[in-house]
Parts: sequence; C-alpha cells; structure tokens
Amino acid sequence: MKLFKKTKKEETKGTKALNELIRVLGKEKVLSAIEDRICYSYDSTKQKALPDIVIRPDDTSDISNTLKIANKYEIPVYARGAGTGLSGGAVPLMGGIVFDLKSMNKIIEICPEDFVATVEPGVVTKDLQDEVAKHGLLYPPDPSSAAFSTIGGNVAECAGGITGLKYGVTRDYVLALEIVLPDGSVINTGRKTLRSVTGYDLTRLFIGSEGTLGIFTKITVKLIPDPERIDTLAAFFSDRDDAIDAADLIIDNNILPRTLEFMDQMSINAVRGYGEVTIDEDVKALLLIDIDGTEESIRHELSVVENACKEKKALRTKVAETSKERDALWAVRRIISPALYNVATHKINEDICVPRSKIKEMLQKVDQINEHHTVYIANFGHIGDGNIHVNIMYKDDPGQEELAESIVNKIMEEVIASGGTISGEHGIGNKKSQFLELEISPQVFAIMKRFKNFFDPKGIMNPGKMFVT
Amino acid sequence: MIQARVFEELCDNVGRENVFDNIEERVCYSFDATKEKHLPDLVIRPHTKEHVSTTISIANKYNIPICPRGAGTGLSGGAVPVKGGIVLDLKNMDKIIEINAKDLTVTVEPGVVTKDLQDEVARLRLFYPPEPGSAEFSTIGGNVAECTGGMTGMKYGVTRNYVLALEIVLPDGSIINTGRKTLRSVAGYDLTRFFVGSEGTLGVFTRITLKLLPLPEKIGTITSYFKNIDDALNTTDSILIKSHFLPRSLEFVDKTGIDAVRGFTKEEIPEGVEALLLIDVDGNEKSVVNDISKIEVLCKENKALKTLVAKTDDERKILWDTRRSISPSLFRIASMKFNDDICVPRSKVREVLKRVYELSKTYSIQVAAFGHIGEGHIHLNLIYDEGKAADLSVHKLISQILKEVVSIGGTITSEHGVGDTKSEFIGLELSPHEIEIMKELKKMFDPKGIMNPGKIFV
Amino acid sequence: MGEDWKTEVSKCSKCGKCHTVCPVFLETGDEAMVSRGRISLAEALRDQQIVYTNKLRDYVYSCKKCMRCRKDCPSGVDYEIIISALLRGVAENMGIPLLPKIIFRYILPRRILFDTMLKVSSKIQRFIPMKKRGQMRHLPLLFMGKRWIPTLAKKTALQKFRNTKKLKNPRMRVGLFTGCLINYIYVDIAEAVVDVLNKMNIEVVVPQGQLCCGTPSSSMGDVKSSRKLAEVNRKVFESQGLDAIVSACATCTKTIKMDYLRTLGPSWKPISDKIYDISEFIYKYCGEEYETKPIEEKVTYHDPCHLLWVRGISDEPRNVLKKSSNFVEMDMAGSCCGGGGIFTIIHYDLTLKMLERKVASIERSGADTVATNCPGCVMQIADGFAGKNSKIKTTHSIQILQRALANGNINREK
Repeated sequence: MKLFKKTKKEETKGTKALNELIRVLGKEKVLSAIEDRICYSYDSTKQKALPDIVIRPDDTSDISNTLKIANKYEIPVYARGAGTGLSGGAVPLMGGIVFDLKSMNKIIEICPEDFVATVEPGVVTKDLQDEVAKHGLLYPPDPSSAAFSTIGGNVAECAGGITGLKYGVTRDYVLALEIVLPDGSVINTGRKTLRSVTGYDLTRLFIGSEGTLGIFTKITVKLIPDPERIDTLAAFFSDRDDAIDAADLIIDNNILPRTLEFMDQMSINAVRGYGEVTIDEDVKALLLIDIDGTEESIRHELSVVENACKEKKALRTKVAETSKERDALWAVRRIISPALYNVATHKINEDICVPRSKIKEMLQKVDQINEHHTVYIANFGHIGDGNIHVNIMYKDDPGQEELAESIVNKIMEEVIASGGTISGEHGIGNKKSQFLELEISPQVFAIMKRFKNFFDPKGIMNPGKMFVT
Repeated sequence: MIQARVFEELCDNVGRENVFDNIEERVCYSFDATKEKHLPDLVIRPHTKEHVSTTISIANKYNIPICPRGAGTGLSGGAVPVKGGIVLDLKNMDKIIEINAKDLTVTVEPGVVTKDLQDEVARLRLFYPPEPGSAEFSTIGGNVAECTGGMTGMKYGVTRNYVLALEIVLPDGSIINTGRKTLRSVAGYDLTRFFVGSEGTLGVFTRITLKLLPLPEKIGTITSYFKNIDDALNTTDSILIKSHFLPRSLEFVDKTGIDAVRGFTKEEIPEGVEALLLIDVDGNEKSVVNDISKIEVLCKENKALKTLVAKTDDERKILWDTRRSISPSLFRIASMKFNDDICVPRSKVREVLKRVYELSKTYSIQVAAFGHIGEGHIHLNLIYDEGKAADLSVHKLISQILKEVVSIGGTITSEHGVGDTKSEFIGLELSPHEIEIMKELKKMFDPKGIMNPGKIFV
Repeated sequence: MGEDWKTEVSKCSKCGKCHTVCPVFLETGDEAMVSRGRISLAEALRDQQIVYTNKLRDYVYSCKKCMRCRKDCPSGVDYEIIISALLRGVAENMGIPLLPKIIFRYILPRRILFDTMLKVSSKIQRFIPMKKRGQMRHLPLLFMGKRWIPTLAKKTALQKFRNTKKLKNPRMRVGLFTGCLINYIYVDIAEAVVDVLNKMNIEVVVPQGQLCCGTPSSSMGDVKSSRKLAEVNRKVFESQGLDAIVSACATCTKTIKMDYLRTLGPSWKPISDKIYDISEFIYKYCGEEYETKPIEEKVTYHDPCHLLWVRGISDEPRNVLKKSSNFVEMDMAGSCCGGGGIFTIIHYDLTLKMLERKVASIERSGADTVATNCPGCVMQIADGFAGKNSKIKTTHSIQILQRALANGNINREK
C-alpha cells in the first residue's frame, strides 16, 4: 500500500491518519520523510519495502494511540527492533507504519534477589546481559546477533542462540509481557514470578508470533546465577563427519556444554582472515565449545570434551587462554552469517532443525542436492540442538536465483521427511511462509489463522508474514 | 444421565469392556487429591487415540461433558467431573512409545507415570527433570495439563520447558499435531505451549514428546535445620545471591510442616526446629562434593542448628521422604486441607510468610508453609476440621491471602493450576479483558463447552 | 574516484553489526545515523528513488568517518568508498556553503593567504575576553557560550622550523608533515617531534610549501580542492629525497598515507610506504633502544579513530607512553571523542555527548594527563576539561616522551 499515492481514497486515508498521528503523538515522533522511510525499509534478509510512516514511540501509550488510529484506517503496522532478523519479520511488505522500537530501550528494573528483569522491547540483548552480569546474573539466550539485536525482536521470533542446549531458548526465559493488541488495548500476560500457571499461557502464544498478534511494550525475563567461569575450546577436524561424531560423543559422555557450535568448510572459508583467528587450510570442520560451571567442574568436563574430540580424530584442539582469545574465537563464529556475502552476493538463509541423529544424513542429502556445486552452501550452527543454518549462496548470474530456490525446496522436503522443522529460531516471516504448510497440517494451519483473526480481525499486524496471503 | 442410545454408541465405538457405568467405578473416578467429589455418569477407559477421538466426537454430538483424568492426583480439582458426564481414564494409555537417546527426546502416551519415565530414561543415562512431589504416582499427561513445576524447577525449569510436541484430540474429535520432535522449532504460533497448562479445557493429549537432558553424574543432598524462618531465608540468599549456586532443588518447610512429619519419617528432627531447608546439587562427582561442603558452610554461617549431608542413596531417600510426606501428613493434624500454591518475587517471601502467620492467627486456622523457596514458591496448606463455620473462615482467609499475594506481584497458582478450587480468584490476577480473551479462545476450540467444564473460569 | 560505490553498497548484508560500534548510533539509536542506514540511502540514490535534500545532507554529515564500522564489517563493505561518494554527491548536487568553499578553493591552497587570514584572527583574539587555561571561545559558537578552543600561535610551525638542525651523522633523515592544527595552534607538538627525533639522532626537515592534507574539503565532498592540495603536497615531499615522512596528526597521516593512493594513484605508493604516525615511527625505528626517565604523572591514552580503526595502531603509542610515564589504561580508550570537522558544528549536541563519555572514561582511569596522537583529539578533549575546570591535562604522547627524554640519557650509538 502506498498511502500517499495510488487512489484518491487511499490518499485521503493516509493523510488523515498522518495528521492524526502528528496531532496525538507530536511531530517529532512521526517521521514521513523519504530518507527516514528508507532507513526502516529492510532487515537482515536484504529485502526492502518502503513504509509510509515511521513512528518512534516513547511509551506504551504512544503505541496504543498509534494502533487505534491504524486500526481505524486499516493501515498495516510493523514492529521493528534492530532490523536484524533473518526471515523478513520487520520488513513492511505492504507499506504502512513501522514502529522503531529502538527508542524504547530502557531497562526498567533488575531485581537481583528475585532473578527477574523487566525491560522495554528496544533494549539490545547484550546490554541486558552486561547489565545483569554486574549483579552476578545471567540472561542465557544468546543469538549470534546479541550485540545488536533487541530483546523485543528476540521474543517476537523466539530466538534460540548458542546456549540453547544447556539453557533453552527465549521462550524459556520470558515470564510476563505487556502487550498492545491491534485495537490499541493493553494486556498483561504472565506474572513477574518465577512460576505462574494462572489461566491459559498467553505469554507463550505471543512469543514467536512474529509481530502478527500484538506489540510488546514491556518484557519480564527470568535470570539465573551467572556461572563462576566459562572456558572455551575449539576443535579442528579434517572431516565433517568426525566433528559431528565428536559432538555426539561429548553429549554421550553426559556433558551438557554451554555451547556446542559447528562450522563446515564453506563457513570456515567465509570467515578465514576475519579478526585475529587463523584457521589452517587442512581444517574442514570446526567445533566451538563453551563449558561453564565452577573451576573444578570445568576442569573435569574440559578433559572429557578434549578426549572426545581426540577420539574422533580432531586434528588439534585449542583451549582459549585469555578472555581476549575467547572473544576472538567467538567473534569469528558470530559473524559467519553476514560474512557469507564474501562468497557470493545473494543468500537464502535456512535454519532447519532436525533430530540430532539425522544431522549427518541431512548434510549428505544437502550435498547430493547440490551435487554439481551450482551454488555454494554453507552449514553451521547449534549442532547440539540439531539446529543447522543452511545458507545457500549464489551469484548474480541469470538462472542462479531459480536454481537456488529449487535447491531450497528440495532441502525443505528432506528436512520435513526426516522429522525436522523448517525454522529452529529465525521464524517464518515471509521468507519461509511458502514452506509452512509442508510442516503444518491444514487443520493446524487453520487454527493458527483463527488465532490471528481473533486478535487482529482487520489484519493490520505485520501482514504478509507467517501466512501466505 | 446419559441416554441409552448414546451409551450404545459409545460401546459400539470403544468397546463395551472400556465403558463403565457401574456405581463402583463411577465413585472411584469422582475425586482427585483435593478431596472434592462429583460423580461422573460414565467412565471410559480408552486404549488408543481413536478411542479418545470417537468418545469426544460422540460427547460433542450430544453435549456431554468430558473430563480427562490421569492419576487423579491433582490439587486444584482438574480431574473432578464437576458437571458429571464422562471421565476419560487415561491410565491405560501408558506406553513409552520411543526413547531417542541420541536426539534427547522421548515420546509417551499421557498415562505414563512420571517416575516410570524418569527411571526408564535414566537407564540410558538420560534425565527428565520436572519432578512434582507426586512424581511416583502422577502421570505425564496430568503434569502437562497443569504445567507442573516440581522440585527441580530452580535449576531446570518446569514442564513447559520440556514439552516439544503434542498429539491432541480437539473437542470436535479431530486430531492435531503441534510442535516438532526437534529440540527447537518456531514454525507458526506456539500451540504446543498454549495447550500446556490448559487443564484439560481445550483438548486431550494422546501423545507427548518431551526433551531430555544427559543425566547428571551425581546428586548431593543436604538438610539443614534452623531455629527460625529468617535464618533459613538468609541461607537461601547466601546460596543463591551471594555465592551464585544454582542448586537442583532448594526446598523449605516451616514448623507446622515439620511437626506434621515428625515421628512419621525416619529423619530425626531435633526439637526447637522452626524451619528446614533441603538442598540438592547435581553435576560431576567432584563438583558435587565441593558444592555440598560450601553450602554446608553457608548454612552454618547463617546459624543452622544442625546440618545433615546424605552419604548414601538411602540417606538421600530418607531426607526426601520427609519433604514428600508433608502434604499427605498434614491430614494427621486435621481432616480437611486447602492447598494454595502461590509464587511471589523471592524478595517478598519473608513479608508474605509473616502476613500469612498473622492472618492464620486472626482466623484461627492453622497454616503449613513449604515449597520451592528458591523460586519464591510456597505451598500454603490451610488445615481445618470439617464444619460450616470452618469452611467460611477458610474461604475468607484464602481470599485475604490471595488478595495480598497478588497485590505484591505474586501469582495465585504456580504449578497446581486453577481448576475449580481457584477459579473464583482469577479475577484478582487477570483483568476482565484478559479473562475475556481466554474465554473467547476457549470458545474457539470448544464452542459447546464440553471440555472439562467448570474449570479455570467460573 | 569512480562508480565503485554503486557495487560496494550491494555488499552490505544489512546485518546490523555496525550498530555495536558506531559512536553516533550509540547516542541517537537512529537508523539513519548509522552506516547501514546511510548505505541504504546510497542504494536509494543509486536506484534513483531519492534525490539530495537537506535532510539527506544532515544524515550524511552525521557520520564521524571514524571508520570503525569498516574494521568490524563481516561482509567486508568498504564504507569509506560509500561515505566519500555521498559527501561528494552532496557537494556536487547541493553545493558547498560559501564560506567553506572560499576557504577550500582559494585559501587552503595558498599558504600566504591562509597565514594572513589567521594572523588577523590571532590579533583579534587578543581582544576577546574570557580565556580559560589557554583556551578561548570558538568564534562561530561564541554565542552558544559553551565551546573552548585554544588560541592561535603567534608563529606557525612552518615559520618556526624553516631551518631545522642539521645533524652530523644522522641515521635517518625524515620530513615532518605538520598539518593545520599543529602548524597554527599546537606548534609545541611539532617542537616535540623535532626535539625527540633529533635526540634519537634522526634529522628532521619541515618541507616548506606543504599545505593542508585536504581532509576538511574532502569531508565536505569537495574532491576538487582536495586533489589540488594533494598534488602540491606530492611535489613538496617527492623532491626532498626523505627516508621517511612522519606526522603527529592521526587524520593527516591517514589522508596522506592512504587516501592519496586513491587521489594520486599508484605512483604515490613508494612515498605512502614511508609515511608513519610519529609513535609508529619511533616504535619501528627506535624500538626499545632509547633510555628514558619516566615522568611521575599518571598518563592514560586515547586512541584517535583514524589511528586505531583505520590503521590498527594501538600498541605503538602505548609502548612509548609506558616507557615515559606512569601509564594507566582507561576503559573504552577506542571510543570516539566526538571531535572533528563539520560534524562538530552540525551535530554539536552529539559531539558533546560523545565528549562527555570520553571525559568520564578519562576521569575513571585516575590519570593526571591524557595523551593522544592527534591534535584534533587534543583540542576536543581539552575543550571538555576546560569547560569543567578540571585539573586533568591533555597533551600529545610525543610531548610526554619529550619530557621523559629530557630527564634521561640517549644511547646514540645504536
């Protein structure tokens, strides 16, 4: 929808809405200059769609007021955190209003004794982690983008991240939400207590709803005591299967590492040379493992992990000696996704999750599908959870896009056949909506649509996402 | 009353041998651990999801209430057929369908007893953490329906954190699958977690896939006695806040709780003890020994009268028997009991307990307090003898307590569910708008209102 | 400079990592004021979705050009190509404001004119009241009543070092590129460079005829003026037959060493390879060989963006300071002080916020003196402390070494 162009009727509608927004919110919170709109037109999928208005809300009432107006004029509305999503969640596909929630970035309270913190949605995940760490506490969910993505976005997509195997994902840490519904009404779900089961779990229903049901304005999360210490070990392998076997053996030995990350050869190639980590040419796969706990427990677990890697023919293992070394290793892991653009200019980003026993088979199938190496495929991710980021990279040449898409189709079919899911943590957005029905039966799909219609009968919340319309 | 032709139809579809209309069976399925009683018209014992599905579609056709039941050990009336109708006894659907050790998942039928599942996966050195006090006799299906928490919540979270996928029979008899048998999935709305804790009001689970963890090498247990509650609470602060331990369990029992089990358990509890902490830590052998000795020091620093470290598994069991026996032992004090399982911010525990004891005096009703104190969770058990006058003041006392709990940011139920025992209080915690949303969602799934009527909403 | 920016913008993966390092975004949280946003604006310009407007210009000018984002960019985007193109586009399409244009086009290339103009200013400044510790109010901002800049020197560095000392057996002969701030204001920094290098048996010349490096004009997109200046500077320095060229200004060093490669082409490479920041030079050629008597003051170090984020130089100045003082590290030493160019005028409020952070970091370190390797940073940070009446001194790290050498002996034999 182009609010200010197109038909006469829409033009009046858009102008009316804009004037009303300016009157209610004040001019400085309502941006409609083309330069501003461009800066809120994209996310990390590289897709672009121009919004008509950008709202920079200060508080819940700004959002509520905006939604009332948007609902009245049936103007699409999109919540945007840092715009770092990988499924198109924050892209204003149908035009309309984008909320820049970075302007609501207060940490409202940290209650160290209660193990809870309440934040506004625009707080950067790492800022929260750093702030609670000052109290000796940990907010475990840690997506690779933690240093720049926001809690609001993490909750909307139910981000997982690198600590999932041991600590679970975002949904396991959200206790309560303040939500503005599409009609502008405000509800509170959950409780600021470590447990509550009063009524239906609306909190969980909204987590991972990708901005299609409402907008979070306050988020209360659970914290845990920060482990005394973290040690990091990198293990280098000459064979992908060896790395997968080593990951299995570590868990078989009853070790639950804080992180257990896998990178294949293409991923390694993409990041080689970044930062201060050198990876030898003979390395074809890598495991990056964090162990946390007390000094004694780490010593024991680290030796088990090292032995497991050696038993599975690791070329070598390296324990980070200093926090600087540790940061350097992790910096490399965290930047893989964007660094892949060094391989080719276009990317289709999949984040499949399969049962761990199926990983080897799955990766072999991916190889077979791309037998003739017509595109580049990089696989990396949270191997302990079976969550593999399969990234299909292709060049600008004619026919490449179609080819990449047909490869993705085949991969998705295999994923579903092996009992996996099409998205482990990035969400469906518009990038994966065409595959949702592979995984979900028509009946379940219909139920989800009924939820959507119930909360958002006019369909103004993040249209074009999750469901193919 | 169920009409004869409906009875026939049910028999034709699920087999006469699985349909019970005799009074003896009906009586046995009329209650749960709240001691509430309501006679169902029929008890049906399904063996397959098809049985469940046809039963429900027939019930739907004739507007007959359906009340799913696991082991009937709930503490909020969830399995009590308050409107009569059919009780679905799911105890016969008790197969562990598959354990995928490498994938860290297990799929079970709803009637599997929690402890049986835990034992079974432990053989493969795997671990299903949620462990309600009733784990030895309650079922996974019931645990999921109520979203039970249990003893290990401090470190491992609650049931909802472990449910990955569900097979659900909806009120129209159709069968859906939610979630995925993978450790992660975010495809579409989270219907799985929406059904967890829905107390049998939206559908009946016929298959449940759970996440498992590697089994910790060792568990260490320590009990510590205190001469007053403050010392015990200070100790929990020292453990959690000052020393950053994340114990597997951190349980608290007050004087009334202790007195109820005294002499009944093998544990010899010294006189003058007014509070007890029971702490589990797990991990590898060395770190457990280390942690336990550090925690022992912390207990002593906070004026523990005595500490006891379990040296063998048997000793562990004795210490835990004390904790597990409290709830049933309270009936030795009086014949009636009302369970509240509130949860408050940890920093408010002291204040709440103080207030509860004050109110207990005012209303002359004895209250035992115990629970997962590390999470700010307290089971408040009001103990009284039958009688109208007592009923009235119990009701007043509960209302007063819950009102105050909510006003300081607490919740009226943290793991037992609302059921019918707390349905009148949800308005304290939820706004009318929020209740309306929940009711509408209920209607979306169950327009005729046949699924466990009379629960959650008044 | 060609159309390479048009392909460069496509490299951006829109991942958002630049959010974590951009000093401006840290203050504003405004997507239009971070590299990713500006790149998307450049894309829109390329695709003819937008044209140059005042708003666009402000967003382009909101860039500090610290280049920190480029260093951390996972997708390897050369942001400098993009921001330079945007600045050039602004200049070409919207023009350059008249006063800067006159300065860039007619005054900077003419040393005598520049000298005269500033001489007049230095006469005027004597009549301006309210000086604080050598700082005076910044003229255009006089009425804002906040800003303090140092007074102009009576004799410029170029005038003062027209004839430098000839050494008997110098181990090297190097040229000093002064840069405007050092030439006109911080002549004492030039003095310290000459003094220190001489003590290390290195002969220094200050080639006459050298001009501004061209940063002020290129930062407003006036490529033409910058090229003119570069060409003059090339002539001046090429003819000298120097072993090396040093500068005490991080920005000038970056410009003449790196940007000139683009402006002047590959023929500049042999000279470019010989250009060093002063600490870098000392570390490379004098190593640990000199002896000092460290001064007792606690000294901390602020990393100038153009030295740290563009050139990756951080150990070298610290090494010099550790040898010559009681060195303490500050937190966030690499975060921008907010100083520099047009940004400080157009986004004055942001400048102040960044400066506040920097001042707080320095205060937390417990240092008596903050040293840095850029006169621009010296001016900015000194402004921060002058406004607060703080006792903390701001200086160039070479001046700390100068003091430590004055105390000690030099082992000239090596």
